[in-house]
Parts: sequence; C-alpha cells; structure tokens
Amino acid sequence: MTHPSTSTPLIEMRNIEKYYGRIHALRNVNLTIGKGEIVGLLGDNGAGKSTLIKVLSGAVPYTSGSIHIAGKEVMLNSTNDAIDAGIETIYQDSALVSQLSIARNLFLGREITKGPFNKMDLEHMNEVAADLLKRVGISKNIPPSTPIGSLSGGERQAVAIARAMYFDSELIILDEPTNNLGVAETQGVLQFVRDAKAQGHSCIFIAHNIHHVFQVVDRMVVMRRGEIAADDLTPDTSSILDVENIITGDHLAA
Amino acid sequence: MTDQTTTATKAQAPLRQSWAKRLFSTPEFGPMILLLVMIVVFTSINPDFLSLRNVGNALTFTVELGLIALAMTLLMTAGEFDLSVGSVFGFTPVVMWTLFNADVMPLPLAFAVAICVATMFGMFSGMFVTRLKIPSFLVTLGMMLVIRGAALWLTDGFPQRTWSTEDQWLATVLVGDFCIGGEGDFCRGGLRIYMSLIWFIVLAFVLHYVLAKARFGNWIQAAGGNPQAARNRGVPVARVKMLLFMLTSAMAGLAGVISSIRVSAANPNSGTSYELEVIAMVVIGGTALMGGRGTIIGTILGVLILRLMSNGIVMIGVPGLAYKLFIGAIILGMMVLHSGLERRNNDGA
Repeated sequence: MTHPSTSTPLIEMRNIEKYYGRIHALRNVNLTIGKGEIVGLLGDNGAGKSTLIKVLSGAVPYTSGSIHIAGKEVMLNSTNDAIDAGIETIYQDSALVSQLSIARNLFLGREITKGPFNKMDLEHMNEVAADLLKRVGISKNIPPSTPIGSLSGGERQAVAIARAMYFDSELIILDEPTNNLGVAETQGVLQFVRDAKAQGHSCIFIAHNIHHVFQVVDRMVVMRRGEIAADDLTPDTSSILDVENIITGDHLAA
Repeated sequence: MTDQTTTATKAQAPLRQSWAKRLFSTPEFGPMILLLVMIVVFTSINPDFLSLRNVGNALTFTVELGLIALAMTLLMTAGEFDLSVGSVFGFTPVVMWTLFNADVMPLPLAFAVAICVATMFGMFSGMFVTRLKIPSFLVTLGMMLVIRGAALWLTDGFPQRTWSTEDQWLATVLVGDFCIGGEGDFCRGGLRIYMSLIWFIVLAFVLHYVLAKARFGNWIQAAGGNPQAARNRGVPVARVKMLLFMLTSAMAGLAGVISSIRVSAANPNSGTSYELEVIAMVVIGGTALMGGRGTIIGTILGVLILRLMSNGIVMIGVPGLAYKLFIGAIILGMMVLHSGLERRNNDGA
C-alpha cells in the first residue's frame, strides 16, 4: 500500500466496509489518491465501483472505516458535506438538468444571490459562466443562457467539469464520462481531464472503455467483488490485457 | 486542442437565433396569441364582451381558480401535481364556518385554523410522495376522496351558514369590492373590482418572482427536470416538493374561503372537478406536466383563456354546454404546440 506520493495523500480511505442489508458491497477498502493524480477506477458490473463512489460523494453512508482528506478525518453524511470537503462527482446521467441554462446548472445549489429575498444574480452568473466556457475550450458562441438540453454530450461533460473546476473541487470523480460520445468528443473530454490535472485537481476516472482510461490516468485501481484487487497498475507497467485479466479475475467461473 | 474546436463548432449553428424566433419559442407565445384571437373574435361577434361589466364579472370568477393555478404551477414545475385541491377548496370553508357558527372562535381565528388544516393536507400528500415515493397521482387521488368524504360527513352534506359576514373585517379584506368610475349599488357604468383580484395580482407577482428570479425557483425547476442531478448538487429536493404541496393546498383553502364568502355558502360539494380545470389552465399556459419547466405568466394566460372562453361562448350564443368541447380542443391544440417547442429545444439531446 505504499505509493510514490511524497507528502500526505489528498484522499485516504481506511478499512471502509459497506453492507446493504446482508450484501457486503465494500470489503476492507483502502484507497489513497494523491494531489493532482488521475486514478482510473476499473471493475466489472457489481464490483463495487459505484458504491465506492457513492460513499466518497456522501450519497450513501459507509458501515465502518474512516475517510481522511489531507490527513484530517472527515464525515461525509450528505452530498453537501462532500462538496464542501472538495469532492465533486459527475454522474453519467444525473450531472445536469437539461431544462435549465448552462449558467443555472453551473450554480445549481450554489447560486449567487443578492438582496434579502435570495434573488439570483443571473447577470453575474452568466458572466462567470461565459468566462468558464471559454476557459474549458467550448466556443464562446454558445451563450451561457443556452439550455443544457441543446448541447452535445461532450459539451455537457465540459460544463460539468468546468463546474467542478470553478468550485475548486480537490477531487473530481467522473462516472463514465466518455460513454456514448463520438471519437472527437471523447478526445475533448480526455483533454478536459488533463487540463483539470494541470490545474492541480485530482481525478477518479471510471470507464468501461480501458483504452480511454489508458490515455489519461497515472494509476489504475481494479475492484472485484467489493475488494480492491490491484491498486498500483500504471499504463507504463501493465498492458490492457493484464488489466482486463485482473478485472475478470479467477472468480469469474465460480 | 483541435479536437475541442471541432466539438464546439458542431452545435453553434442552431443556437444563433433571431429575436423573433426566440419570442416564438417562448412557452407563453402560443397562449398569448390564442388569448388575443379569442378576444378579437368574441368582441367582433358581441361587442358587449369587452364591456366593463362583463370584464368585471369574468375577473371575479377567474381569481378563485387562478389562485390555485398559481401555486399548482410551482408544484407541477417541481414534477408533482395535486388532485386534492378541489376537495380542499370545499373542505376548508366548511371547517372555518363550522367553527365560527358554533361560536367556538372568532372568524379570523377560524380562518387561521382552517388554512392550517388545509396546509396540513398538503403536508400529508408531500410526505407520502417524498418519503414513501408513491406517485403524486395516487397519493392525491386518495387525499381527494378522503377530504371530500370528510367534508360531506362533517356537514351531513348540507351547506354551512355564512351570511353573518357584514361586520367581519376579514370578509372585507378577502372579497370586499370597490367601484372604479361607476355609480350606485350596482356600480353602473363602472368597473367593479373585488379584493380577491388584488390578492391574485399580488400573489402572481410574488410567485413569478419566486419561480423565475429567486434561488428557490432554480431548485424547483431542477427538482422537476432532473431530481437526481439536483440531489447530487445538494438541493433539498424533498423539502422543496413538500413546501410546494403545502403551498398548493393552502392556496386551495384560501380560494375556497374566498368563494364561500362571495357566494354566501360553504357547500361541502363545492370545488368538485376543479383540480382538472386548474391543471388544464397550467398546462395550456406552457408549464410541463412532467416538470422542469414552468411559467407563471403562461398560467395567468391559461387562466384567462379558460375563463374567458366559458364566458365568451355564452355571450356569442354558443350553447354553454359546448364549453367543454372547446376547452378540450384548446388543451389538445396547445399540447401539440408545446411538444413541438420541446422537441426543438432538445434538438441536441
């Protein structure tokens, strides 16, 4: 469990156990993520990836164990706790509200308000949003008042990632960000992830497509049956086939 | 970097829209045109349609359903609806007048108690929907029958006395009337305005502000559009919905009380089938039945369209019984229009 991270890791999960009733979803999970590190989280369906993510994003409580951020133990009892602690999760289908504008989505739950009646400062929100869109490389010709519903899949991921970067999330968790995207759009999203790293954000990148994972990650963690099966694979030292073998494991026949 | 630029250029073309196009694609545009056409057609056939007297009359009846429709707009934008509003409309005044007539408490206190009871009905519905995850259709259908049954059982089916309202300030505040530019007891030649209309206008402004400008409005739209995304952003979706159920029920109660004072009767049967008329007003105005998008301005247009239609077709000599036929046709037509707009807005999806 030693990693070349020089200082205290950003996130440290210690001995996390999670039961859903009688189902043992996470078994003694120990996971560290360094600052500015992109970690690929791999595993077959039901391996425990989403449970792990939900625990980290405060969506479900864990049964036992502890989570530390920058060395300090934190309680993640709600989504807001996790966001406040700097953990931002971008779910595949439930990151954005398609009826709302880009700006309204960016600030959803964190709206900028003025006055005593919680009036949204839409002007300010639109300005910030336009600025962010430029920064993540979406064309400036898309006004921030555009509803999310009329954006392409890649642009939506960009908006979600821009949101995480704007709110200074230390850790951005991306759940299948390249699903259903075309080749060019996928490359665009992978570039957003590299940009986020360049700006000091850590990422957990979940994808079924191992090729996409190999293009961006520093390290790969494989889960199988609720356990961490490997956590020190890198694109330089392991081949895609190696990783696939670990994902499927010997247990497949059982 | 080049990849990103190709990504971005793809979606640019359909987004550049002229002003006219943008106006056309607002949900309020269709109902606005329909309302104008109705006024022109009715007035050209019977010029009395636009007389002060008729406008005053039409506005009076309009606001009672309109009050419920305003609150229902917010609730439906959040992705839920309430079928029990008609029953609450009938039940609340029964509670108020029963308490008052039995000399249990003075009228203002009875009013407060009755509105609290109405709000609690909303809270029950909200709890069933948010905690037990039962669809609001089923929950509020049940509540509709429970509340109506309670009203009938409490009163043995008889209307409650309400005619001792003369010296009650509350009655004046809620439904008192004043006359603009007319004379005599019947406000001859002038426009008679009821206080309830003032309440409607004030509440319309407040709820428009809440839905379109306030932070809470963003939460309402998100709760209806993609509740899971809203929850992931820390929006208290369950609390938002609960509050809106309570607001809708309270408004239905208020409307019922206003109506009971105006017609001098608290009939346990009143308000029957109002829920569908209210929902029709809201969807005609452009609010999505499944949530995520709502407009108070549209609802006001929807309220006017339905009420002026019922008033207008009588004035131009169409048998009043055909009213429902017209309303049905309008609902269908508007739904075609709105679904077309929806498709256009979600082109990139």
